[in-house]
Amino acid sequence: MSTTSQMLKGLLDGSLLALIAKGETYGYEIIEKLQEHKFAVVSEGSIYPVLMRLQKNNLVSTVMRKSPSGPKRKYYTITEDGIVELERFKEHWDQLSQGVSSLLEEGDGKNAVQ
Amino acid sequence: MLSNKSEQFIIELRMYLMSKGKNDAEINELTEELEDHLQQAEAEGKVPEHIVGESPREYMKSIGKEMGFDFRQIASLAPMTALLIIAYFSFAPAIEGTFSISKIGIGVSIFLCLLSFAVYGFLLVNVLPKLFHSKWFYGVIAVAYTILTGLFVVVILWEQKTNAEPFFIATPLQNNLILLACIMFFIIFAIYSKSWITILIPFFLSWGPVANRFIPESVNEDPMLITITVVLVVLITIVGGVLLFRKRRVQ
Repeated sequence: MSTTSQMLKGLLDGSLLALIAKGETYGYEIIEKLQEHKFAVVSEGSIYPVLMRLQKNNLVSTVMRKSPSGPKRKYYTITEDGIVELERFKEHWDQLSQGVSSLLEEGDGKNAVQ
Repeated sequence: MLSNKSEQFIIELRMYLMSKGKNDAEINELTEELEDHLQQAEAEGKVPEHIVGESPREYMKSIGKEMGFDFRQIASLAPMTALLIIAYFSFAPAIEGTFSISKIGIGVSIFLCLLSFAVYGFLLVNVLPKLFHSKWFYGVIAVAYTILTGLFVVVILWEQKTNAEPFFIATPLQNNLILLACIMFFIIFAIYSKSWITILIPFFLSWGPVANRFIPESVNEDPMLITITVVLVVLITIVGGVLLFRKRRVQ
């Protein structure tokens, strides 16, 4: 597995939570939105194990409704617990990205001196 | 409409999750969701690999990991199925009034029950998904059932032949009570599984023992009558088979 896909895998939970927080949505639409944000997932189906995990941990709630195309469709909305978890994810992400950026920039600076 | 490849994937996923003891309602929810996704993706010209990745088996595992083992479902289904098998093989001797148990019989029956669970799991994951659209699908199930039933019959015959000491021989009243318990269990299982099959199979299986108990021996051993019965049964089977085959073709 490439470094990018490994990094993305770790971030998928929080990213899906952030997408669902923007409003009720369903599987295929989530993929379309991820692609709009240039968020490359390994395979489209890889969101479903994550969605199941979010549901199991009570971070999202689901409802099955008939879709315009025929089969029943599962719609996701964020729960109170989900909102709390999303805030925690944002904080962690800020710390992490700041840390990594500062580390990389420092490295670049040293290289430039040498 | 889903492509054959996607449909095949859904079937394999469903059977894989069933064999791993996942909750039925959850399996249905997930497969419906994936069907919806695959349908939309295919409408936009994407291939199934785009959705499930290069290794469908790996994808199935990742889904299975998130679902957890539904202990309650298995805890009720496994003993129910074991009881069902026991009921199948108890009710015929009970009708005939010859119910008895020997130690060897119990040991071999438990072994066969465990073996049937293992075979069921193997068929569900490795064999049946590949044959779902083939006429062999029912063939394999029928052969598996026949072999299993045959094994039990062999055990019963072998037990009779070796004169294994029965430690329990039912009195006429106990035979009737065992029969009543079996019938009640068939009805309970039919309601539980929402299927008539557990009532229909014993119904047809009961004809032999009922005849054995109530028809006089002289009639029972008349070679002429036996020949007529065998010919009739073969004819009915052939006609039934042809009708069923034609009906399927028309469909």
